[in-house]
Amino acid sequence: MISYLVLMGIVLCILAIVAVALNFQWGSGGMVNFGLAGFYTLGAYTCALLMLKAGGNTFFATLGAMTMVAAASALIALVTIRVTEEDYFAIVTLGAGEMLRLVSLNEDWLTNGALGLTGIPRPLASLVPFEYYHYFLLALGAVLLGGTVWLLQRIGRSPFGRIMRAVREDDVVAATLGKHVLWARVRIFAIGGAFIGLAGSLHAFYYQYIDPTQFSNIVIAYAFMSVIAGGRGALSGSILGAAFVMLLLEGSRFAKDLIPALSSDQLAAIRIIIIGVGLILVLIYRPQGFLREYRLQVDVASGKMKT
Amino acid sequence: MFAQIAFNGLVTGVIITLPALAVTLLFGVLKFPNFAIGGMMTVAAYMVFALNAQLGWPLVVAAAIVAVVFGGLSIVIDQLTFKPLRDRGGITLMVASLGLGLILENIARVFYGNAARSFAYELARPFRFLDIRMNREQMIAMIVAVVAMAAMYVLLTRMPIGRAMRAVADNPALALVRGIESPHIIRWTNFIAGVLLAIAGVLVGMDRALEPPVGNNYLVPVFAAAILGGLGSPLGAFAGALIIGLLSELSTLVIAPNYRIGVPLVVIALILVFRPQGLFGQPYIRK
Repeated sequence: MISYLVLMGIVLCILAIVAVALNFQWGSGGMVNFGLAGFYTLGAYTCALLMLKAGGNTFFATLGAMTMVAAASALIALVTIRVTEEDYFAIVTLGAGEMLRLVSLNEDWLTNGALGLTGIPRPLASLVPFEYYHYFLLALGAVLLGGTVWLLQRIGRSPFGRIMRAVREDDVVAATLGKHVLWARVRIFAIGGAFIGLAGSLHAFYYQYIDPTQFSNIVIAYAFMSVIAGGRGALSGSILGAAFVMLLLEGSRFAKDLIPALSSDQLAAIRIIIIGVGLILVLIYRPQGFLREYRLQVDVASGKMKT
Repeated sequence: MFAQIAFNGLVTGVIITLPALAVTLLFGVLKFPNFAIGGMMTVAAYMVFALNAQLGWPLVVAAAIVAVVFGGLSIVIDQLTFKPLRDRGGITLMVASLGLGLILENIARVFYGNAARSFAYELARPFRFLDIRMNREQMIAMIVAVVAMAAMYVLLTRMPIGRAMRAVADNPALALVRGIESPHIIRWTNFIAGVLLAIAGVLVGMDRALEPPVGNNYLVPVFAAAILGGLGSPLGAFAGALIIGLLSELSTLVIAPNYRIGVPLVVIALILVFRPQGLFGQPYIRK
């Protein structure tokens, strides 16, 4: 039971990092990312390949994955140069994500196609005793999650954070005030992308084996569900949201006990249906989520900022 | 060889026309891109499969009945999912539609699993015309899609309901002044979109195999077609779909067929950078 909780904890950390990164891009910056699954794939594969093919160590492979996803995200964000409607951008990201997934499936020479990559090294595997390794990975995941939230929150509360929210609310107003909207969008998407790359690297470390079937579009539903349940724009809320999604997912495992006739495919499908229905219900009945977005508040009496 | 590929592209384009038209009609009236259309195509196709392959009804009868039933069903879906979210802005609706698409795809999966299936109908030998091999599914797809397009043209330009739909798409407030109530038009638009998507689901299932992701695999090309033609422009959707279909198939002459989906993606990106209103659309004005 304990080891089950530890493993769930690691998965939760990975999902929460994706959710926080999406919340940064979409919640704070107003940029919808329907290509999330593809960027996540790119992160995991870049990290794995840098170690397996280029002989890099785990640290540099992770940095490489973050850089790669950030660069790809920045490139995609450039299409908003003339059209700023979210609808169009959503479709572009959807297509880009699909392309990345296809590359992982079809470029056998690089990604080993449908067979996937095996034997992915793990960070500090020689130092940590094997029986404690999952505890170590959980701690690592938690630290990285904490670091991600801390850093992205810092950015969100900096002057750039105010530009982000201005661009989200009304890009014309932001442009009128002399803010470079395109450049802001590129940065928002790239920074969020870097952390999706981080989550992808953790995924590779945790599973040690990656293949294209692990990265279906369902990741998108999980991440959006986490962000919406946690509260759009409230970065730390996404951790709660991700925990909520995990609870739904793991809870639905017990559907197997209720209806033993279900096959594993059917069970997987039912879990996705539960997440999808949950997503729509939360959107309808609790659109504000668990936590609220940070707002700069000033105490009138002392003239100091409240935190 | 070239002629054969061009012909295949034409068929693909014609099949994409129907869902692209559904997308553009829905966008015109409801002002958000509905990503659930992929899942809707899948579910409709499986409903036809149930009547046709499992109960043994002729494919045409099954498809016709499902088209009408599914039109009604898409009104129900809209009332349940999108109506409560109507005034929350495009992004919320878009995310809800993505979730809905996943739900629908997986409902099909719960009942029919991941195995590829096909409708029950007599197979016929493909016939040749000027060295182009045409199989019967392709011919049926062409005829059905062209008839559906003609019907849509008449509906949108000659019939009161079609004109009312265009009026609401153009300016809901002004339409209301003229006594056109948008809830009524929204129901009709959903019904028509449902019918189009059901027919498209059957054609797609005939063209390739019927499996749960079949509809969602068409999302990117369909949206590319609708954007290329200018979202909200029915004529544009038709032209956009043919261009996307042709370009995608012809691209296999130079790139690996697996990356066909890259073509609509590149087209979308180019259109957005160089001609955001699409080929036939009006420049989009945010109100």
